[in-house]
Amino acid sequence: MSIRRTSPFILSALTLVVCFFSGREFLAMRAADEIRPGPGLTAARRLSDYFPPLKGTPGDTPVYVFQGPAAGGSVLVVGGTHPNEPAGTIAAVVLAENIRTAKGKVLIIPWANASGFTHSDPQEASPQRYEISTPGGRRSFRLGARVTNPVHQWPDPTIYVNPGGQKLAGIESRNLNRAYPGKPDGSLTERVAFAIMALIKAEGVVLGIDLHESAPEYPVINAIVFHENGADLAATAQMSLQAEGYDFRLEASPPNLRGLSHREWGDAAGIMAVLLETANASHGRLKGRPSAALVVDGQDKFYEKAAKLGRLFVPFGPAGIPLDERVARHLAGVSALLEALAEIAPAKAVSVENIPAAPAVLTQGLGAFLRPPD
Amino acid sequence: MRLVYHLIVLALAAHTAWYLFREKDFWKQAGAALVLILFLLRLVLVK
Ligand SMILES: [Zn+2]
Repeated sequence: MSIRRTSPFILSALTLVVCFFSGREFLAMRAADEIRPGPGLTAARRLSDYFPPLKGTPGDTPVYVFQGPAAGGSVLVVGGTHPNEPAGTIAAVVLAENIRTAKGKVLIIPWANASGFTHSDPQEASPQRYEISTPGGRRSFRLGARVTNPVHQWPDPTIYVNPGGQKLAGIESRNLNRAYPGKPDGSLTERVAFAIMALIKAEGVVLGIDLHESAPEYPVINAIVFHENGADLAATAQMSLQAEGYDFRLEASPPNLRGLSHREWGDAAGIMAVLLETANASHGRLKGRPSAALVVDGQDKFYEKAAKLGRLFVPFGPAGIPLDERVARHLAGVSALLEALAEIAPAKAVSVENIPAAPAVLTQGLGAFLRPPD
Repeated sequence: MRLVYHLIVLALAAHTAWYLFREKDFWKQAGAALVLILFLLRLVLVK
């Protein structure tokens, strides 16, 4: 038999081998990340508990409840709306693994778009995972894509008309932060949005905090985006954050930008809705080679250069903007918002103990506030 | 909709596999094998 006759068989066998190993790696992204909620946890629920049709779908995701002994309001903290913005997810995980509620209730969703965590943005060469060192070993977390996995929601329309009637590019049909207030019979992404709205209403949430990151060249950064219901709250929180040395811009949620958490949570459920943004170099267009180190250390020479040329909206030096710093900023933001809530609506106050202090996260590192792996 | 997608991907995968076995040039065979990887992963809805 000549090489020409045998080579198709050899190549077919190699194809199957490559499919097996790469397929195994892709499928591993569908396994949920580990989380070890602390002793303050009072209930571990699923999003489908608030909207049963979500049960068994790739959109279902854990909800951690921290109910305090004294009566107060309810606060929702959401990470992972955009799975490629790790500071939001990690800040939510750190909260879930550390806090105790003394008054009122805190609900935490670390992986809001669970499907988005099961794949990576195509053609971006994004790492699938990144690791954070804890004193007891390294913890691994998935870096997902901005939008829902197309394996779970397909095809994209040419033009997406979201539940608020806004026309968007087709890919935005898989963007959770364009899908609010959701639809009970809509796409998977719209059903997830609907379930989060159902949770907000069922739990009597008074303040919703959506944790994000964006590129250092994006103008809405190191910002508190607020719904007008939460204008006083955001301004009060911003003042105390400035006093702590955290520069936060205040950005009013534009009333005609439909489908976003800070718009629809406020409009549809009447709550104080805010969105926090930090600056993530692994997210932007100006970065060099993507890597897990870029996600965690946040150092990039091209961003350094862009900062020198005055193209960025945040300072960016050789130390970069590491994940520790981005998560510390989110934690400082959440603390300040809770304090502002107690000031503005004392009857709805939520008092939380053990939120890692931002300076401690900066000096001891994030890993000191994550539980060690098995 | 999922069935339509499966049928389209199956047709493309079968066509590529057929090409791989019919083609005489080794490098063209190798090219077909690389394309086949993507179709197979899609066919089983892994990626
Ligand atoms: Zn985002």
